[in-house]
Amino acid sequence: MHPDQRWYLRDIARRTGCALGNLRRELSGLAEAEIVTTTRDGNRRYYQANPACPLFPELAGLIRKTVGLAEVLRDALVPLGDRVAAAFIYGSQASQETKAASDVDLLVIGRATFADVASAVGPLQETLGREINPTVYPADEFRRKVRAGHHFLKAVLCGEKMFLIGGERDLKRLAEKRFPPDAL
Amino acid sequence: MTLKDWLRSGFLRTHCSSRQEIVELFAISDRDLANCRTTGLDAEWRMAIAYNAALQAATAALAAEGYRPARGESHHWRVIQSLAHTVGADGDTVEQFDRFRKKRNLSAYERSGAVSDQEAEEMRSLAERLREAVGQWIQTAHPELAPGNAKA
Repeated sequence: MHPDQRWYLRDIARRTGCALGNLRRELSGLAEAEIVTTTRDGNRRYYQANPACPLFPELAGLIRKTVGLAEVLRDALVPLGDRVAAAFIYGSQASQETKAASDVDLLVIGRATFADVASAVGPLQETLGREINPTVYPADEFRRKVRAGHHFLKAVLCGEKMFLIGGERDLKRLAEKRFPPDAL
Repeated sequence: MTLKDWLRSGFLRTHCSSRQEIVELFAISDRDLANCRTTGLDAEWRMAIAYNAALQAATAALAAEGYRPARGESHHWRVIQSLAHTVGADGDTVEQFDRFRKKRNLSAYERSGAVSDQEAEEMRSLAERLREAVGQWIQTAHPELAPGNAKA
């Protein structure tokens, strides 16, 4: 996902939740196959994806389309800045029931418009090989509809979520708090 | 790609329009532009009504140019894309319209309710812009078909 970055062992362990011993073994295998490169800085050993590896484009594609999905979408939404208060994937992609052709259902809350969000994530549809279906709520409307028990939002909020921006606490805050008109 | 290419590929048929037809399509578009403001209707419906208003306007432009879409699955998609070739709609406008097409399909078949009030408003403002653009374009490009013009 980020071939320009290098990572040290504990960092990777923390991000992946793998045990250090297993991880070290896996990484030395990958280094031997030249899928990752290693560098030493002081007494730290860093690992980095090797873009020169002939398999690199295929591996990067596999990751983007599967476990890296959330990260790709998050990167696309970041330029919208504080106009997105919370964003998450819901539906089959969030609950890992993904079939090959599953669409990505995306809920965004904030000041951004549907056009903003659709333009930000639209180009990813080709990269990911999936349709992305955004629904965009201003914070005010979100709160009002959650309180009114709107059937769609109720179902989405009860279901699995994969957060891209913000988390459960932000969502709860958005659903409860009354905002001054320009705050979000 | 031009409309002529689409005709050759069988996506469009030739069509002989009339002022009466344009008047009727505009009337449907205007009716829907008014109806999509109905308060108390769900956002999903208001978006679908505004979408229809825009589609009727686009259909009028295509008819004025001498075409109608061939029946088939991509009927709406063609009409939307044709706006670039009739009124010269820019890429962003066409793309935005097409995203609402997808949204409308999804809300009709799978995800009922996944439309916000704001999105319904965005579709309405897009439909108003397109209805206006088609009205003006017909005045200059096909004055003989423009509603309200004396018969040429």
